[in-house]
Amino acid sequence: MNKTRLQQLQQLAGAPVEVVVIQLSDWVQAGGSRQPEAGDSVVREDGTLIAISADGEELEALRFPKGLTPLESELFRWVLQPSASRTAANGFTDTERSARRLGDWIEQSINGGDLRAEVPDRFELRNRLFDGMIPFLLISEQADDRELPYNELEKVFKSFISDEILLIPIREREWLVLGPDRLLAEVESAEEDVIEMDETKDALFSLATGLHQMFTEEWGGECHVAVGVPIIPTESLVQTVYGLRETIYLGRKFHMGVQVHLPWMIHLERLLNGIPESTRIRFMEEMMGRPDLFTEPETISTLDAFFTMDCNVSETAKRLYIHRNTLLYRLDKLKQETGLDVRSFNDAVLVRIMLLLYKVTKRK
Amino acid sequence: MAGVRLEHVYKKYPGSDKASVTDFNLDIQDKEFLVLVGPSGCGKSTTLRMIAGLEEISEGKLYIGDRVVNDVAPKDRDIAMVFQSYALYPHMNVYQNMAFGLKLRKFRKDEIDRRVREAARTLEIEHLLDRKPKALSGGQRQRVALGRAIVREPQVFLMDEPLSNLDAKLRTQMRANISKLMKRLETTCIYVTHDQTEAMTMGDRIVVMKDGFIQQAATPEELYNHPINLFVAGFIGAPAMNFVTGQLVEEGGSVHFKATGINVEVAEGKAKALRAKGYIGKEVILGVRPEDFHEEPVFIEASPKTIVNASIEVSENLGYEVFLYLNGLGKDNVIARVDGRTGLQEGQNVKLAIDMNKVHFFDKDSELNILEN
Repeated sequence: MNKTRLQQLQQLAGAPVEVVVIQLSDWVQAGGSRQPEAGDSVVREDGTLIAISADGEELEALRFPKGLTPLESELFRWVLQPSASRTAANGFTDTERSARRLGDWIEQSINGGDLRAEVPDRFELRNRLFDGMIPFLLISEQADDRELPYNELEKVFKSFISDEILLIPIREREWLVLGPDRLLAEVESAEEDVIEMDETKDALFSLATGLHQMFTEEWGGECHVAVGVPIIPTESLVQTVYGLRETIYLGRKFHMGVQVHLPWMIHLERLLNGIPESTRIRFMEEMMGRPDLFTEPETISTLDAFFTMDCNVSETAKRLYIHRNTLLYRLDKLKQETGLDVRSFNDAVLVRIMLLLYKVTKRK
Repeated sequence: MAGVRLEHVYKKYPGSDKASVTDFNLDIQDKEFLVLVGPSGCGKSTTLRMIAGLEEISEGKLYIGDRVVNDVAPKDRDIAMVFQSYALYPHMNVYQNMAFGLKLRKFRKDEIDRRVREAARTLEIEHLLDRKPKALSGGQRQRVALGRAIVREPQVFLMDEPLSNLDAKLRTQMRANISKLMKRLETTCIYVTHDQTEAMTMGDRIVVMKDGFIQQAATPEELYNHPINLFVAGFIGAPAMNFVTGQLVEEGGSVHFKATGINVEVAEGKAKALRAKGYIGKEVILGVRPEDFHEEPVFIEASPKTIVNASIEVSENLGYEVFLYLNGLGKDNVIARVDGRTGLQEGQNVKLAIDMNKVHFFDKDSELNILEN
């Protein structure tokens, strides 16, 4: 503790205050906890001790020679606690309260349609939103109703990404995680200075996949994660959350079973989602020679893999663990039944759209 | 270490009238390597995810050790998972990747170090500890993913198609590595795969699933030699078992199986059971494994009453063996696996004897193996 701070405390206490180092055993003997935290206090013959920090068997504390009233003890305890872990009357720490306020504002701005809103000056966290940050939106889908405490979650993300992260709860089970954009450089090899856009997207995808895996394996069970390109949060926080939320919504709607969603991979889905339902139905009726065409899981999985592998027959066959000729047979069968040859560009586009629309209409 | 027990477990998704997993009962022994196998959508991954706590159990009880864990959070189940995607943490090096779970659980630094280095030694990735995932090959990444699970020293390992992103050569290599590793670690392992070769080579016991139901749970040998129904018989084995529909008739004091191009005498032991079960005169499905066709003169001479003649439509020579795709036996192609040195060619007619002691008969309606039920 620095001198100025100590003097301020002495003025507040109206008595001399000194920093002492004592043995943990002495602390425990005086009735203190074996795992003291900053702000914990004990009363001894030589005055009241309030813990500042503990290191192994030693403990640093403030000694107030005169006895403190319970109110004074509580106030000093509050002052000495790290601000991040101070619990206010509503049960939130300072950080959590600030993050929740910001989250509420984001949600209100989205609901009010003000997607271009900039973070106002009144938010305590605003000064942390000027640097480039990577936005991750996480929606937990854990199997039961357990609550995920903010503090613990924040610790996990800090441990996983960096101490500089900002965790902002937006809605129930929905969090925005802002991580420093230098993470991208950490994914790449150290010697690479310039990172191309494609590499950035690959790195963002692997970061989001890692985050999903970490959350699923180590923490709260199943979740959906969307990641965006780095932003300056003060300028585009609302727009970003809106975009990532839409990405997860569309990803879940059109690609069941996928948990990591990328805004730059769902352009077609966004477009199709915007088409009025009556138009979609008419398109499907006109295009579907056989109404039961996509009811065969084999056809759907074959086409999904075929489009994922950029219409490459050999790669698709490998991915599906089938012989190349078996795949060609399936594609020929589809051509015979629908008149659409997915190996030709135009027909592939049509079948891809039909497949996406089918997946949406099927689940209604 | 602990066993895992599933008692009458069901999984029903909201809005679906059909259960994805139905009345799943299984007792997995401590230290057992159990493989769940079946086609896409059979419920194997759903079952594994319920054990992991990633899916809620709709009905039934799940035990890990003696503890019911239906309501226990995944992170508190003392399990470690390795998934198909095995996403590593891309911004951390190998050491940090492996240490992260322990760090999160507040293990002491020296203990973390000990476990990471020990696992790295076991997986032979000590020289990679400083590397980032991007600088690793597919196989190395897979080993890191395994390492991340191993350092946890969990009661149970759960693996969901962990090798499916690897190429064929690496898959074979990793298959052996995982088997060895699990034997050394002596930990219960539940492994999901759609690949029956993986299942047969790795599992102490295999559970074959279809449409959310367990079809058969048995050792690899038991499954191969005594499949309980047509599905299991067709699923286990590559090339798959041949099926020919035909009739069982009494002829000259013995039982014969007759179908297009086939009239063979059923071995006495099997004939006796078929008679007793009242199948004489009925249509049944004959199941013959490709290796139970024989072209060796000695076998043909010794088995005059089980000979069939067919023409070779396609011959696939793998060097040490040949797969013959035969026409003229039943309605569909039949595959025979014979010695690679026979010199048999496409278009040739061939005389083969069936080892009738090893064939199976399936009820046409229930598809159950008549002699195993």
